[in-house]
Amino acid sequence: MRRFLAALLVVGTFAIVTVVSVRNRVELAPFTYDYIVQNFHDDTDSKNAVAAILLSYRMYDTMFEALILLAAIIGMTQFLPRPSDMNGDARSDAAQEPEDAADE
Amino acid sequence: MSENVVSGESIIIRTVVGMLYPFMLLLGFYVIINGHYTPGGGFQGGSVLATLFVARYVVFPVDDTDSERLHTIQRVFLMLILVIPTALLFTGVVTRYPALRGPYLTLMDLLIGVQVGFGLGVAVLRFAFFQGVGKTWHL
Repeated sequence: MRRFLAALLVVGTFAIVTVVSVRNRVELAPFTYDYIVQNFHDDTDSKNAVAAILLSYRMYDTMFEALILLAAIIGMTQFLPRPSDMNGDARSDAAQEPEDAADE
Repeated sequence: MSENVVSGESIIIRTVVGMLYPFMLLLGFYVIINGHYTPGGGFQGGSVLATLFVARYVVFPVDDTDSERLHTIQRVFLMLILVIPTALLFTGVVTRYPALRGPYLTLMDLLIGVQVGFGLGVAVLRFAFFQGVGKTWHL
């Protein structure tokens, strides 16, 4: 019963959001689109609009994408065990992990 | 990939991957450096560079790469990715001097490519040697 209610909640939320967003369609003014298409070469000296957007118009996006990669790798290096952890006494090695993390 | 090391893979795979290795490097840097002319760029080229680590792991599955050092290099490049646009783009230097625009794009593509390459390389090596040990690890 709990699972059924949870599934109903998820499906119902999805259906409501879909219906609301389809009924109230928002058309943005194409100002930014037109501006970038017409001026990207003059602004950034790039021959590729995608590179112009990624590296100039939306540089914050690219910077935080790179930060997300760093966060993923920090999680991986801290939470996946090292081979040395598996050979010997895993418990004592695991206890020393937070100290390694604090050093960085 | 030296000859005196015993590898688990056949000589065919070792030879073919050894021949393809420089071309993978070349393709990765081609995609990175031509990022603002052709489709591609830092993230895509960095992923191609990360396949170098995968190829090396396929041929020579020994955990002798210092992944902490790769991670340090990746963090230094990430710091440059955060600092250089802050210094050049957000202050308006690139907008004011048109001669800097091309070098700026190439530099950023190169930094992002190396950062993504080393980052994905660290990830691949960590997962590969986590599975390769074959012993259960308990907390």
